[in-house]
Amino acid sequence: MTAAQVPLAAWLLFAAPASAILFGFFVMRRVKPEWTHLPILLSCAVVTGASFWLAADVYAGHSFDLNLFRWAEAGAFGVDFGLRVDGPGAAVLAMVSLVGSLIHLYAAGYMKGDAGFSRFFLVFHLFLLAMIGLLTANNFVQLYLFWELVGVASYLLVGFWFHKESARKAALKAFLTNRVGDFGLLFAVLLIVLQFKVTHFHLLYLKAGSGASFELLPLIGVCLIWAACAKSAQLPLYFWLPDAMEGPTPTSALMHAATMVTAGVFLLVRSWPLIAAVEGLPHLVAWIGAATALFAAVVAGSKKDLKRILAYSTVSHLGLMMLALGLGRVGAALFHLIVHGFFKAALFLCAGNIAHALHQPTASVDDVGGLRASMRLTFAAFLLAALSLAGVFPFGGFFSKDAILDAAWHHGGALAAAGMLVAAGSAFYIFRMLFLVFLGARPEQRAPRVHEAEPVLAVPVLFLALGAALAGLLKAPIERFVVVGMRGLPSGLPELSVVLNLPGEPFLPRLDWLVAGLGLLMAALGALAAWRLTMSDPGFDWRWRGGFVEAAFESDFGWKTVVDLCASAVSRTAVYVGNSLDRRRLDGLVEGTAGCARAAGAAIARSAQGRVNDYLWWMAVGAALLLARALR
Amino acid sequence: MPLTTLWVLPLVGAASCALSGSRAKYAALAFSAAFLGAAGMAGWLQHASGASSAVAELGPSWAYGISYRLSADSLSMALIALTAFLNLVCVAASWELDVPAGYWACFLALASALTGVFLARDLFLFYVFWEATLIPMFFIIGLWGSGNRLHAALKFFLFTFAGSVFMLLALLALVCAHHRAVGVWTWDLAALDAGALGGAAPLAFWGLVLGFAVKIPMVPLHTWLPDAHTEAPAAGSVMLAGVMLKMGVYGLLRVAFPLFPVLSWEALPILGGLAAFSTIYGALCAMAQTDLKRMIAYSSIAHLGFCLLGVLSRTSQGLAGGALQLVNHGLTTGALFLMVGFLYERSHKRGLSDFGDLASRAPHLAFFFGFSTLASIGLPGLNGFVGEFMALSGALSALPVLAFAGLLGVTLAAAYALPAFQAVFWAPAGPGSVSGKITDLVARERAVLWALCALMLWIGAAPMPWLAWFEPSLRGLVR
Repeated sequence: MTAAQVPLAAWLLFAAPASAILFGFFVMRRVKPEWTHLPILLSCAVVTGASFWLAADVYAGHSFDLNLFRWAEAGAFGVDFGLRVDGPGAAVLAMVSLVGSLIHLYAAGYMKGDAGFSRFFLVFHLFLLAMIGLLTANNFVQLYLFWELVGVASYLLVGFWFHKESARKAALKAFLTNRVGDFGLLFAVLLIVLQFKVTHFHLLYLKAGSGASFELLPLIGVCLIWAACAKSAQLPLYFWLPDAMEGPTPTSALMHAATMVTAGVFLLVRSWPLIAAVEGLPHLVAWIGAATALFAAVVAGSKKDLKRILAYSTVSHLGLMMLALGLGRVGAALFHLIVHGFFKAALFLCAGNIAHALHQPTASVDDVGGLRASMRLTFAAFLLAALSLAGVFPFGGFFSKDAILDAAWHHGGALAAAGMLVAAGSAFYIFRMLFLVFLGARPEQRAPRVHEAEPVLAVPVLFLALGAALAGLLKAPIERFVVVGMRGLPSGLPELSVVLNLPGEPFLPRLDWLVAGLGLLMAALGALAAWRLTMSDPGFDWRWRGGFVEAAFESDFGWKTVVDLCASAVSRTAVYVGNSLDRRRLDGLVEGTAGCARAAGAAIARSAQGRVNDYLWWMAVGAALLLARALR
Repeated sequence: MPLTTLWVLPLVGAASCALSGSRAKYAALAFSAAFLGAAGMAGWLQHASGASSAVAELGPSWAYGISYRLSADSLSMALIALTAFLNLVCVAASWELDVPAGYWACFLALASALTGVFLARDLFLFYVFWEATLIPMFFIIGLWGSGNRLHAALKFFLFTFAGSVFMLLALLALVCAHHRAVGVWTWDLAALDAGALGGAAPLAFWGLVLGFAVKIPMVPLHTWLPDAHTEAPAAGSVMLAGVMLKMGVYGLLRVAFPLFPVLSWEALPILGGLAAFSTIYGALCAMAQTDLKRMIAYSSIAHLGFCLLGVLSRTSQGLAGGALQLVNHGLTTGALFLMVGFLYERSHKRGLSDFGDLASRAPHLAFFFGFSTLASIGLPGLNGFVGEFMALSGALSALPVLAFAGLLGVTLAAAYALPAFQAVFWAPAGPGSVSGKITDLVARERAVLWALCALMLWIGAAPMPWLAWFEPSLRGLVR
């Protein structure tokens, strides 16, 4: 296959957003900034069409992976850039472009009238373009390129309202934390170059599957996991994500559902054959995922800010995906990633509708209550998405979460228990949020008079919620998709089982009624607990606060404090090195030489001040020395 | 085209600037443009003449084997082109300054001396050009600098001059030893052989390295740089960071490595360790600065550390990355210094807390500054990443610890660059701020920055032509 055979759709994936952004930047921004979104929305439509077209191709068995041009070369070192459209990539791509486009549409309404409207849309679309590049990269260097571009776009969007100090801080925190993670990815890529001499995924799969042992592989695996922990907000690097909602709500939706945090999971999917080849690493991933999922679910149940609840929920669900990955269920992780994209986008946009109706950038449970009557469409969308998130049959989340619970259950032990607890926790926090926001106004809450969101805001949300509800239907197609998509790749790719390390198991598990029943029971328990603590005892959420318990929850059980200490240690070191060490000591030494020279000069000058006495003494000394020498 | 033209043309330009009084800046512009054209053409001819050939030119010889020997391969050509380009950028950026003819003459004289350094293949000639660069820069800092300019100029001159003395001693030892062994006086770089030095070879090697390390500058020999950069006028900082720092790395590549192939490899743990240390140390110092120019100056130290790491690894990708990073750093840091200069022209301030909210007041400036900042912290797709990645890849195969330290430097880069960007462009203007005086860039300033940013994007997105161009002149250095 040559560059000429790349399907038109694949070119469009890049050409449409790139030209929309350039046109917007150079033309629309000057001529008619309030119309900047029009070419971009057009590009969204093109991208969605193109990615579904590619998905159909992949479904029919026409995956492809080819190099387009040599990016850099020196001696034996060479990196090619190319395109890889295969099962996992095309499946996530289709979700990202569809969900992303709906969020773009929503943003056109949400951001209307904002002073930075055109800037917002340009960066927003760049965000999507970066994610498309990441999903279609065919080697690690290219993936790193788009990985960083995703990070920059998110930085600019989180800091979009840069007049707010909190937004500036959150943007910096997000970028720097991700940078700490990127350290891992860059190191991993460099190690891959050193160990394998290539960065191309498919060549790496072949090498890793060849059975030879590679001494650096464990280190590479750890670095990749570290990188994924930062981008996908896992312990210990998750803390940037809850703060990152300082950007406009569409940003949060895009970031949580489609373009940012999924990148880490996708990185692990792409590098799974490398990680799975090292004993113990999959377990590490599973444990990180389980711990994060449980921890974030607990914290999410205590938050008041609507977007913050959802942010911790994202952390928790990403943990579930990591758990699935760690247990070798790449398919389950991908499936949950796709379903999660729908329900999380819907939930964020519902929160956005509420904030928009209140004319606030964000809302907390203190501000709202009993919105069911006044915001019916939003309530319906929220309910559908919440049911999906909680994993209630027959909504989408049930199927994807069940696949993960099934894996954990059959693994047994603490991971199985963690899976079930997360199922209960998810139901608890999302129903707590639902009850607090939409049902009954409590005395502690302001029950504002609000209007339902206008159609441009409501319609995309409804579509996303419907997607979240119906995504369960995708189970069989996605399975076939990934299986066929991997088989369709040409030129001697090993069989799927080697690539994804699934010895002889079905890609997604069959429904196991015991696990499904247990999962539903846990969800019911969670929902019941939420009812008990918000409806039967409406004042509880305000009563328990204050004191040590809330402080513990607010500091994420101390982890935030530790992180702050680390950050301030670095900046204090910098101040010490920059001011005391460099300026005073080192430069003081250098400047001191000038002082020494001057002092020495002055000292010598004192001995030559033109007094005859001095010179006579010097003469006497010299004569004595000469005499002494002559006499010896 | 004779190579002599390349260094004589700007020198003639300097003379005509000095003579043309109030119309000096037009002469400067004309000669800078002509110089860039000549450099571009020479580079193209060199490229077209065949991959490995270096254009050589041999002139008269004088006593003690000193001869007029010029030659240019792709590395020299690239650095000359960078000199010519940044020289034109400086002239365009200083266009509205109210400065006498001497200012323009100094810049052209500096370009001439720098070109000579990159062309010379006779070590005596090399040394003469090397020291000649100090004179115009001394005047640029001392006459047209800010605040504490006299002190900074003197410090710059004495510090780098002290380093060069060791270099001269090493060169003299080398030439004398060669004469004793062979009986012929020569300063020809290609003919000299360090084997004649015997046991004194390490001393001569470290003397050379000391001279180059001051220029790079390598921690702990760097303390002249923050002062010189801070007090120099913007265009002076551009030339200082953009080209003059490169002389140190160039000297290592051109003189120290070929003359002492074994010693330079054995010195890797020490030099590489200092280079890796420089990246972290420079980044930490940059984090502590409250003055924009000082911050960029310290970031230069960190960036040159990456260059060195790559170059010292003596692998093909490390050398290529290090060489490319020489050009990259000239572009990104040059752009950043220019913009700080634009701020300083408008407000006579350059502290981080003197500004605020400039993203709203000067959106063009914010865009270019953000773009250059991202290039400088190594965002893939822009130029800084290519050099850093290849240099670190080389360092990893030579001495893994170094690459690890270098990676820490990459991580820290964001921790100084972005807070500074936020303080100037995003944070609200504080009570003592001078943001009110800041007007957005005019067309001339935008054109200069577009040229720089376009190059950053080109090198980042498709570095292949550049790498292929450098390859022949670096091939011989691969270990």
